[in-house]
Amino acid sequence: MMEERAAAAVAAAASSCRPLGSGAGPGPTGAALVSVPVPGPGPAAKGGGGGGGSPGPTAGPEPLSLPGILHFIQHEWARFEAEKARWEAERAELQAQVAFLQGERKGQENLKTDLVRRIKMLEYALKQERAKYHKLKFGTDLNQGEKKPELSEPVSNGPVESVTLENSPLVWKEGRQLLRQYLEEVGYTDTILDMRSKRVRSLLGRSLELNGAAEPSEGGPRAPPVPGGLSGGESLLVKQIEEQIKRNAAGKDGRERLGGSVLEQIPFLQHCEDDDSDEDDELDGAQHRKQRVKLPSKALAPETEDEDEEDDSEDAISEFDFLGSGEDGEGPHDPRRCATEGAHHELESRRVKLQGILADLRDVDGLPPKVTGPPPSTPQPRPHEGSFGFSSDVFIMDTIGGGEVSLGDLADLTVTNDNDLSCDLSDSKDAFKKTWNPKFTLRSHYDGIRSLAFHHSQSALLTASEDGTLKLWNLQKAVTAKKNAALDVEPIHAFRAHRGPVLAVAMGSHSEYCYSGGADARIHSWKIPDLNMDPYDGYDPSVLSHVLEGHGDAVWGLAFSPASQRLASCSADGSVRIWDPSNSSPTCLCTFSTASDHGTPTSVAFTSTEPAHIVASFRSGDTVLYDLEAGSALLTLDSRGNSGPTQINQVVSHPSQPLTITAHDDRGIRFLDNRTGKLVHSMVAHLDAVTCLAVDPNGVFLMSGSHDCSLRLWSLDNKTCVQEITAHRKKHEEAIHAVACHPSKALIASAGADALAKVFV
Amino acid sequence: MVMAEGTAVLRQNRPGTKAQYIQQNIRADCSNIDKILEPPEGQDEGVWKYEHLRQFCLELNGLAVKLQSECHSDTCTQMTATEQWIFLCAAHKTPKECPAIDYTRHTLDGAACLLNSNKYFPSRVSIKESSVAKLGSVCCRIYRIFSHAYFHHRQIFDEYENETFLCHRFTKFVMKYNLMSKDNLIVPILEEEVQNSVSGKVKHEGNHIEKTY
Repeated sequence: MMEERAAAAVAAAASSCRPLGSGAGPGPTGAALVSVPVPGPGPAAKGGGGGGGSPGPTAGPEPLSLPGILHFIQHEWARFEAEKARWEAERAELQAQVAFLQGERKGQENLKTDLVRRIKMLEYALKQERAKYHKLKFGTDLNQGEKKPELSEPVSNGPVESVTLENSPLVWKEGRQLLRQYLEEVGYTDTILDMRSKRVRSLLGRSLELNGAAEPSEGGPRAPPVPGGLSGGESLLVKQIEEQIKRNAAGKDGRERLGGSVLEQIPFLQHCEDDDSDEDDELDGAQHRKQRVKLPSKALAPETEDEDEEDDSEDAISEFDFLGSGEDGEGPHDPRRCATEGAHHELESRRVKLQGILADLRDVDGLPPKVTGPPPSTPQPRPHEGSFGFSSDVFIMDTIGGGEVSLGDLADLTVTNDNDLSCDLSDSKDAFKKTWNPKFTLRSHYDGIRSLAFHHSQSALLTASEDGTLKLWNLQKAVTAKKNAALDVEPIHAFRAHRGPVLAVAMGSHSEYCYSGGADARIHSWKIPDLNMDPYDGYDPSVLSHVLEGHGDAVWGLAFSPASQRLASCSADGSVRIWDPSNSSPTCLCTFSTASDHGTPTSVAFTSTEPAHIVASFRSGDTVLYDLEAGSALLTLDSRGNSGPTQINQVVSHPSQPLTITAHDDRGIRFLDNRTGKLVHSMVAHLDAVTCLAVDPNGVFLMSGSHDCSLRLWSLDNKTCVQEITAHRKKHEEAIHAVACHPSKALIASAGADALAKVFV
Repeated sequence: MVMAEGTAVLRQNRPGTKAQYIQQNIRADCSNIDKILEPPEGQDEGVWKYEHLRQFCLELNGLAVKLQSECHSDTCTQMTATEQWIFLCAAHKTPKECPAIDYTRHTLDGAACLLNSNKYFPSRVSIKESSVAKLGSVCCRIYRIFSHAYFHHRQIFDEYENETFLCHRFTKFVMKYNLMSKDNLIVPILEEEVQNSVSGKVKHEGNHIEKTY
């Protein structure tokens, strides 16, 4: 091979008149082409000459210089050596990686065995307890269909413990002690455990139908005989199920029936059966099983979950798949799990599931009295539930080391007015039953997408991006791309007129017009073309409609009010302007100059209940209500919070209540009353700054997106997180810029700094 | 968080991510073409070319916006540069003779779809061999936008070029990575050529392009 190369080199040297320094260029290519074994220098010369790309003489007997040849050979050799060294380095790297991963895997396996052991212990303990209880209730028929009120009295382990007929309670006690000890080591307080016990029950409610075996039917009766009715959604059902649990805790042979009847009582689990897909495609199967097995697994999981990496928790959880399959055969165990299920249907992140494991500790510890005390219609469970959404945060923060602080905040929270039991239960449940799954991924922008707006009636979406364009997408014209679950859509129109990033977009009335504001301080109004147009039609210059000039600096926020046909914009020049964007001559109606009082505005929104008011949020952390008719500020809402001013990234108005919701840089979301200006509710919502909010048009849930790459859906009734979706990759510390809800269809969308927009159904 | 800063810097640019690296260099000095085009050490060439092409398409938007005002479908009914060639728009099922502004828009939209498509460019950290060839064809089409602007909308072209040096950079980029044949590079970009050109006259000087290999 080297000889051939030498021969080719000779040929190349012969064929070019240039110095061999540059000849070495064509040389190697010539040599590469001659890699097919060539018998002699003759054909090699031809091949080398031809392949080199330089004008090749046929058999040029030009002077060959030995130094030249040597130089070439050395050069080639050096190159090979360099490549080899590179490969060696790569291999070493990969080997190191392999070793690392093996080590990790070992760790996970150990974790798994520990957890399996714990599971067994708990099962045994439970069996014992049930046996005892049954004995106590000697002769009572434990038909689980009935809900006897007398069983609502605290069924703690008191009576059971007092009858210590066998060793098993001792064993069980020891187990409990041990687990408590572990918990203390980790630093969890009882309150956290309570919250988590609720959480795991709710999550297990989801896994019930995934069990397959114990599910009876979909047609469970919707009206459980719980006093007070199923108002407020899940929390009551959780309560109800807890009661069931206690009642049936000692039932030995009633276990299967328990599972079945509990299911019947929980109407919306039936819907959950249909939702087989989770937020993350990869974890589809894995997550189902995760839920099944997480209940029995114990405290070790949280202890080892010190890393925040999702990969790690993923690995840990995938280990549980073995447990899941292994335990299918363990009859009593499954129904017990069923029994403790709650009625939540949403799938939380994996971290939260592992916390559920922890929560279960509390369950086994004897169904603490806190849980059982008051009858279901009190809001008592709700404070716990209200903090569910944060339990994952708490967990994470614990591991990060900031846990206690947030918990302190949470402990202070009062959930407002959850006694409003008159809400339409079926509607809220419909909304809650839904788990949002990714449907479309909109790829066409070159740079991060800053804002989104849905068409008011069609499945169409407008995206505004930092690459200076707006694109209109018709979601009904999706193109299936191979086997992806998310379909690829192509835009049907690109709106070009901005110089520089487009920062905000708002849809006009009846979606005939739309407005976009950019870093070039201009607001363009566009006529929206027909949604069925072909993307490669001729250019229609009438699409670009008007330019609203007036701002002095980048326009960061836009809002349109169909009721009053007004467009509000806020800009980095410190002003909020109101425009009348009529087709003939758009004019700026009034300007609120806010630079002096509040700083730079970041976002505006029209208050839905009062079209003549707008609410604007500022970098300083203020939120101010302005009266458009009077032309002045009306009220400053108390959004600063205790921790000092933090930038508010977005403000939205509730569609039916006089409520304003703000998204803060300090990871929180605040709810403010428009009439009094007071803080109604505040919650820590994400792991990083909350960047955007959207309220669904029925006022049932709230979507929030954050730089921690997650999209969270919150139920507005009890301010709990009903779903978390991890979407978008982080690009230079920013992830999600905007979220939106379709006004009439069940579509939500998120826009990311990774130049993708995702649509969920 | 830089979300509400009303300044030009919209985000923190971390070198290490190629797109941001390129944008940083451009922002620093858009006339320092060699620095912008020079890949950092160990950078995969295919990915570097891809990221640059994305950046070109992004910036070409600005030129398209400027052209929109002057180039109408009745004034420039075909996509031409010199009288020799009429360019057909490849964005349709059968290549069509689109008016110049349509050609520009379709080409840019088509490039956006291609460069962002999951099928050809599923990852931004490694480029498939088969997709590298697509980069060349995208470059040819994009170049025609420059040539049409140069020959028919000279003022706009000059304005834009003085701001961004985009055509210079693009020409050097395609030559450096051999993405287009040199015969196609008809816009004379060297300073001597610009001085010599007479307004309205067509100059076709294929062999004036720099010969640095």
